[in-house]
Amino acid sequence: MPEITLENLRKEFSGGIKASDGLDLTVRDGEYLCLLGPTGAGKTTALRMICGLTKPDSGRVLFDGKDVSGVPISERRTTMLSQRYALFPNMDVYGNVVFSPVIKGWSEEDTKVLATSMIDMVHMGKKVHSIPGELSGGQQQRTALARALASDSKVLLLDEPLRALDARLRIELRKELKSMVKEMGLTSIHVTHDQDEAMEVADRIAIIRKGRIIQVGTPSDIFQNPATPFIANFLGRSNVFSGTYVGGDSDHSEVEIAPGIVVKARPADMEAGEKAVVAVKVGATVPEVVGAKEDVQDRHLPKVLPDGYFGGTVERVMYEGSTITVETRVEGLGIVSSQRSSRRYEAYKPGTQVSITWQPQKASVFRMPENGLEDEMRLE
Amino acid sequence: MSLLDRINRISDNSGARKAWFGLVVAIFIFIIVIPSVYVITQIFADWDGVSAVFNDSGKMSVIWRAVAVSFGLAFVVTIFDIITGLPMAWIMVRKNFKGKNVLDTLLDMPLAFPTAVLGLSVLMFWGAPEGVDIPGLGLHLSPFMMLILLHIIFTYPYMVRSLSGILEQIEPNYETAAMTLGASRWTAVRTITLPLFRAGLVTGFILCFARSLSETGGTQIALKMLGVNSFYFTGPTYIAEHKTSAVIATPEMILISTILIIFALLLLVVARSIITRMGVSTEKVWPELGRRLSHGAAPVAKDSLAVLILFLFVLIPSFYIFTYLTDPGSVDTGKLISTTATSFFIAGTAVAFDIVFGVPVAIYIARHRGDRLVHILDNLVNVPLIVPTTALGVSLALFWSAATADALPALVLVILGHISFTYPLIVRNITGAVEEVDPSYEETAMTLGAKPFQAFYKILLPVIKTSVIAGAILAFTRSLGETGATQAIAGSNVDTVPIYIVGLVKNGQYPEAAMASIILIAICFVMMLIVRRLTHRGGSRNA
Amino acid sequence: MSKIRLEHVSMRFGDFYAVKDINLEVEEGEYITVLGPSGCGKTSLIRVISGIWTPTEGRVYIDGRDVTGVPLEDRDVGYVFQNIALFPNMNNLKNAEYGPRVRARPPEEGEETAKKYLSLVNMLDRSGMFPFELSGGEQQKVAIARALSSGSKIIMLDEPLSALDARVRMELRYEIRRIVKELGITVLHVTHDQEEAMSVSDRIVLMKAGTVHDTGTPIDMYRNPQSVFAAYFIGETNLLEGYVDGRTKNGWTKVRLRGGKTVKAEKTDLANGDPVVISVRPENVYTADDGIRADIVNVVYMGTYWRVRTVAETGDYVDYNVSDNLTPPKIGDRVTFVFNKSMTQVFERPKEGLTEAISLE
Repeated sequence: MPEITLENLRKEFSGGIKASDGLDLTVRDGEYLCLLGPTGAGKTTALRMICGLTKPDSGRVLFDGKDVSGVPISERRTTMLSQRYALFPNMDVYGNVVFSPVIKGWSEEDTKVLATSMIDMVHMGKKVHSIPGELSGGQQQRTALARALASDSKVLLLDEPLRALDARLRIELRKELKSMVKEMGLTSIHVTHDQDEAMEVADRIAIIRKGRIIQVGTPSDIFQNPATPFIANFLGRSNVFSGTYVGGDSDHSEVEIAPGIVVKARPADMEAGEKAVVAVKVGATVPEVVGAKEDVQDRHLPKVLPDGYFGGTVERVMYEGSTITVETRVEGLGIVSSQRSSRRYEAYKPGTQVSITWQPQKASVFRMPENGLEDEMRLE
Repeated sequence: MSLLDRINRISDNSGARKAWFGLVVAIFIFIIVIPSVYVITQIFADWDGVSAVFNDSGKMSVIWRAVAVSFGLAFVVTIFDIITGLPMAWIMVRKNFKGKNVLDTLLDMPLAFPTAVLGLSVLMFWGAPEGVDIPGLGLHLSPFMMLILLHIIFTYPYMVRSLSGILEQIEPNYETAAMTLGASRWTAVRTITLPLFRAGLVTGFILCFARSLSETGGTQIALKMLGVNSFYFTGPTYIAEHKTSAVIATPEMILISTILIIFALLLLVVARSIITRMGVSTEKVWPELGRRLSHGAAPVAKDSLAVLILFLFVLIPSFYIFTYLTDPGSVDTGKLISTTATSFFIAGTAVAFDIVFGVPVAIYIARHRGDRLVHILDNLVNVPLIVPTTALGVSLALFWSAATADALPALVLVILGHISFTYPLIVRNITGAVEEVDPSYEETAMTLGAKPFQAFYKILLPVIKTSVIAGAILAFTRSLGETGATQAIAGSNVDTVPIYIVGLVKNGQYPEAAMASIILIAICFVMMLIVRRLTHRGGSRNA
Repeated sequence: MSKIRLEHVSMRFGDFYAVKDINLEVEEGEYITVLGPSGCGKTSLIRVISGIWTPTEGRVYIDGRDVTGVPLEDRDVGYVFQNIALFPNMNNLKNAEYGPRVRARPPEEGEETAKKYLSLVNMLDRSGMFPFELSGGEQQKVAIARALSSGSKIIMLDEPLSALDARVRMELRYEIRRIVKELGITVLHVTHDQEEAMSVSDRIVLMKAGTVHDTGTPIDMYRNPQSVFAAYFIGETNLLEGYVDGRTKNGWTKVRLRGGKTVKAEKTDLANGDPVVISVRPENVYTADDGIRADIVNVVYMGTYWRVRTVAETGDYVDYNVSDNLTPPKIGDRVTFVFNKSMTQVFERPKEGLTEAISLE
């Protein structure tokens, strides 16, 4: 299975749309990598350049260090699993799965053995002779996966493979998808705009925005140490505050986010007086009920939370199943959201006075982006 | 290594793909586009002859009048088609009712009838003022009115088809959304759907206009039966009446062909820009009026009227010729068989050529939308469609005689001519079909290891097969019914069925002409049924 | 008096019932989500209420008035489409003005209304742009402004967010709720996303196969679902099959699982030996020194916690959560866990079998 390297890829479409603007990325041998980014970030273009469906204007695609720009699509052994599955409408499930072996002229015996094992693996044994139009979304997705796996490819490119499915089914199938692909040991790149999906399936996540990769790392890496304010709010919601860096040490830094309100965050290499942005995940933002007994984030731990940075009034509490979202109105800052375990649902009511705090090492500090915070945080 | 393997291998080479595509485009330009408009250059080559005609005010007034009749006729007919075709298209797309399939088939029938047959049938139905002793309504109509009634028949289906095509692509949710906002259906359609219609209107307009402008056979028969053929002309009949086997083209023919071609091409440009800029005022609304027109009797009346018009102006006049079965004429079987064979041979060869050299162009156009070269190509495909076939015939004959020093036999020239006006039909049809096919089918096939040719042959072709067949039949019937181009190219040297029928009518042998027509219709009808069967089976499988 | 009332409403196409015998009452100002898998009839239901379709059986009442035969343009029910359906031939302001205009309101009044709602969805600065110039989320906001400015007090949202990016979806759902609550509008919001349904609605109507399967507030639906399907569809849960095996002194139900282990669960009146399914959510599974043994097969980082998947000795997959402040266990480790008995629900085992009962397609 090859290691894939993208080197400074550039691709501009008519109308001046830069789908790739100096794209660099290495996908390790046998890795399951998620390419995560908003619509229009250039995710699909990146996939298409890897398998050869789109030619980059400049830059190189390397498989195990070898430039593949001269290799035709049919010989790259990179299979695309597209959003709508593209099951061939003129063939039944079996015909689709054996497409690649037949094209490559395998013996009938081998073809049959391979196809049968793939079809069994994706649990489509009962639907072998159905045509694509008769299959449900999930079945189509499984058939397309079997077809891709039967193709003797070394690289699997998945272009939003779950987008067309219902939310609940998506959650079930993403677990299944990852385990099947991993079993085959393929190098896989999975494109998605869905953070939860990326977190759940990826070995590593690459965040793409405006045709560039802006951070690569394991899900917990990126979640805990986002490289930009955008990523902080894109992979997991964050409360984002702008303010002025006022000081700090090797343990934490301090930022004044409103007159008189100083919050703590991870240490940062900044000068006092610099404009700064602080981002805290909603799940790490704790609203302690004023006057209530000690309310620590986790009772297994000693007290880890500093005293509240600022106070506010609960405006709304939303029950979301295993979690609740508490929205607190804070004078001078607007709404601050927190996500807590739903066991604490009864503790908050609209009007409850709370004091907001977080562990300093769970808050990130960034320099103020050049184009301003609003532009940086734009999700679309 | 088999041939297929070899093609597969070669198809991986992008240079080879470019070379093949270049060849196909070259064929399109040099065999189809340039010969179609070559006649324009003859204005200068034969300047003396042309200027003599130009200075002869008697001849010129006849020519101008013929051109005026042609364009006036096409214009009136197209407007009629738009007004009556719109409600019909609505019925076909947005309504579900019993017998919709039958109506759908009936709608296409006039396209399968050779226009010469239609000419005879229509004249019999509406009745001719003199010279025709057949049962009919005996209305006293001017030749112009009679030609309008005739031309409606074979343009109307084109209009309904193109309007339906565009209506199918307009989100029905727009109308529903407007209605949830409080608009009555009538208001919703007027302010939302109609303004979105323009693109479809252009296609429909051009198709109908061009079809009417080109028509020769039926018009000739009508004028002959009215007894005005020696002094009342349309552009195409003027050419047909002046064609002799002695010369390829007289200066008169060159002049009128050039005028027709230039005007037609100008029209293509003007119609496009006028219709796309035309603003429908959606500012004012009349809620009460809208409400009244949307409920109760008004919509029923509108639909009934649309169906009534379809039957009264299109279907009954077309089928009226079958009344002749009560008093069958005798047919010269030998002659009918030989002319039919010629017609089939011409149509078959032309269609085969169209498919081999048209499908690649169609796929290229469909898959490279937005490319400037494709934009030009796409517009060029319309050229042979809009050029009146008779003028096209004149042009083609001149071109090939100049290019090959008269070496090509008349039959080959006729085939080349038929290729020119059927090619756009096939390319248009297949372009539409390919655009409907998600390109990710072929792309996925290639990432699974298929060579580009395999992706085409194993995936795309089977998926669009039914559209290719449907396009082929459309082109085939169009070729079968064509009179003008054949006459303009070969005079009476190549005897096709329509020319045979026109000849019979000219000799006053109406019963024989009718009988020959009925047999021809029967053949076409069987073919249409086969196609319907094929396309419908394919359709349900792909759904 | 309820705002909307459905009495025995059915929508039949040939032999197929898209919606079958539905009775439903919606209060004024209520935010209801109609939740269910594809093809459960949820969109048909709101199409019938808005008048796009006329039900084949049953009556629809709005404000106590029978509107079953009233054409949709007179029902005054706003509708927001999944594919947005902004009029492409009009700019955003004209789109938002459309409702007042076709009702022949004075132009100044129409413009004022349109601007008011465009500003409410923060799109006033884009009112001169055409729909195609906006991103998906922005288009949907304009579509909502358009529906609101026609003056409707009832709005149907037909999967309004499903065409959008996941992250945009999350922001917009809170925004929609804020706006309609501010205006006191009655909403029926169709979705297949249980997370979306949980986070915005006052009440959830869970549909399956054309009928209302279960209904209740989000907290009811999560804590006390009335069926295995509801427990499975709303939020994540562990389902284990077993048999009732007596009661404890305090009345807890004892359930014997596959492999012989017995767990305690909520109080029920099921008889001894009845085949049952127990449902316990991951956050109610705790590791302990004694209990059900399980092997860890997967550990996934979920942001604020680790989701640990195990194969228990009962043969079932059991998932539980570990706080992100702790070090997660490793794949291959062996753990033992217990269930929070008051949060462990017992359902009669469905006759059609568990797999069929929770089938999503």
